[in-house]
Amino acid sequence: MSGAILLVEDNELNRDMLIRRLTRAGLEVVTAGDGQEALDVMRAAQPAVVLMDMNLPVLDGWSACRAAKADESIAHIPIIALTAHASEGDRRVAMDAGCCDYATKPIDFPGLLRKIENLRGTP
Amino acid sequence: MSLRRRLTLSLVTILVLFAINVGTHFWGSVARNESMEAYRNSVDAARLSTEVEQLLNDQRQTILVLSTIRENTGDMLGQDEYLQAQGQIGDIRDRIRQLGRLSRDVTRLHYERLLESSDTLLRQWSAFYDNYNDADYRGDADDTLPYLETSQRLKELEQHQSFIAVQRANIIDRTIALTDRITVIGFIASIVLTATLGFILVRYTNRSLKKLKRGTERLGGGDLSYRIENIDDSGELGDLAKAFNAMSEKLRNAMYDVSQARDAADEANAAKSIFLANVSHELRTPLNAIIGYSEMLHDELSDPHEVDREQFQQDLEKIIRSGRQLLALINDILDLSKIETGKMSLHCEDFQPGELLAEACDAITPQLRERGNQLETADFSDLPTLFNDATKFRQVFTNLLSNACKFTENGTISVAAREPAGRPGWVEVSVTDTGIGMTAEQQSRVFDAFVQADTSTSANYGGTGLGLAICRDFCELMGGNIRVESAPGAGTTFTVRLPSDPESTRAAA
Repeated sequence: MSGAILLVEDNELNRDMLIRRLTRAGLEVVTAGDGQEALDVMRAAQPAVVLMDMNLPVLDGWSACRAAKADESIAHIPIIALTAHASEGDRRVAMDAGCCDYATKPIDFPGLLRKIENLRGTP
Repeated sequence: MSLRRRLTLSLVTILVLFAINVGTHFWGSVARNESMEAYRNSVDAARLSTEVEQLLNDQRQTILVLSTIRENTGDMLGQDEYLQAQGQIGDIRDRIRQLGRLSRDVTRLHYERLLESSDTLLRQWSAFYDNYNDADYRGDADDTLPYLETSQRLKELEQHQSFIAVQRANIIDRTIALTDRITVIGFIASIVLTATLGFILVRYTNRSLKKLKRGTERLGGGDLSYRIENIDDSGELGDLAKAFNAMSEKLRNAMYDVSQARDAADEANAAKSIFLANVSHELRTPLNAIIGYSEMLHDELSDPHEVDREQFQQDLEKIIRSGRQLLALINDILDLSKIETGKMSLHCEDFQPGELLAEACDAITPQLRERGNQLETADFSDLPTLFNDATKFRQVFTNLLSNACKFTENGTISVAAREPAGRPGWVEVSVTDTGIGMTAEQQSRVFDAFVQADTSTSANYGGTGLGLAICRDFCELMGGNIRVESAPGAGTTFTVRLPSDPESTRAAA
């Protein structure tokens, strides 16, 4: 298991911005552009935490979450949902899909860092 | 049969029976009176006969005594005695005449015979008194034949009168018995008939009323499809049932309309909620970039060693681009909201569609280059002048061209325009790309707000998902229409048809 963070984001601007901010915060970041790629990277790199956008091409974030939780080799990796869907219902859908936390866009970056630290701290 | 006719029939039947009873009573009464009178006559006649017999007997005794006195003594008859005797004979004659008045058809014959023999007798007696004082007169007062005959006939008349009296009495008895019987039968028949009619009336009416009651309960319980069946009543209750059924039908239709309206309102409400959620989502995406980059630059600025001016400028451009996208999105949302609330108005002016199309094609050049697309345009110079909203015209084609660029990579986008056959003054413009295309299902929803072909599309290709909805609404507002033809992987063609003047199509519609 690596200490890397996997960022799954298809929007170029948001991906670029988050990579730079996370890197600046001292984290190692790997990226994926869609849900399928995210699963592949999770299996290969075993990241410590996954930050996953929900509106993704090829395989959307919710399906990717469910697939990850169904796969024993990566089921233990915590996933934080990053989404512009802001309602309580949207939050529940994400949690039901297997996410262990939820952050809405625009992202509260210090808050996101705290969530990541919390998850990395748990064995 | 109607309720009123049933009641009327019952009433008439009862009245007829009542009339029969009353009639029987009167007929019996009349018949009784008639017989009573005849009976009384007969009794009177019998009494009179007895009196006449007594008088005749007395007179004969007197004559026999006088006759004996005349033969033996030769005494004269005084004037007073003579008048008294003639008076007595007259009295007898009067009584016999009286008897005649009491004798009806049946005893007439007996009376005639009595009258005949009594006349002879009374004439003989009258002659006896007239010639009493005549010494030479030899009367036939001793001749008993006329007296016996008269007496005999009087007895016969009397017997006959008695016989008739008995007969009349029998008739009276029979009449009374008959009228009594008829009255009792009529009374019983009345009761039976009234009870039967009442029973039938109550039973049929009750059955219909029960059906109506059940129907009302079912309807009241919310079963609006319930109908009252088999009403065998063609009258008021049948009409009531029909009216009830018609009412149920109308109620059901009204309820259906109400539920349709409610569903439509719910749907509209749900659409509004989805629209709001989508707006929120769409606004957050560019805001995420704006806030994220701003915070990042702010952090970098606090550490002077890290500032890379070129990178800094690029990041600022990203913030600006996201800001503009946000503005475009807000404008689109406002446009759509204006259209939906009917507040979007047209500002018509004369313009050359070809010029505006050429401008829109020029404006798209940067986007074309970005994705390696070629643009092919036809000759726009022959197009007719339009009197329509030029700003909306430009926006429609800017949207369509930008859309075509978004979904096409290293392909060709072609714009063709002409005046359609059969529609002089109209303009038909088609924008065709060689991009990813759409399935039939995607085409059916492509003009709905916030719908892109699928959720991954917006992620891949960006955009607000409002462009085509606005295009469709603008085209319709301008009096024209827009349609799409596509197949997955085979590119897409949007065709817009617009009239020279929106008012002309609205007047024709």
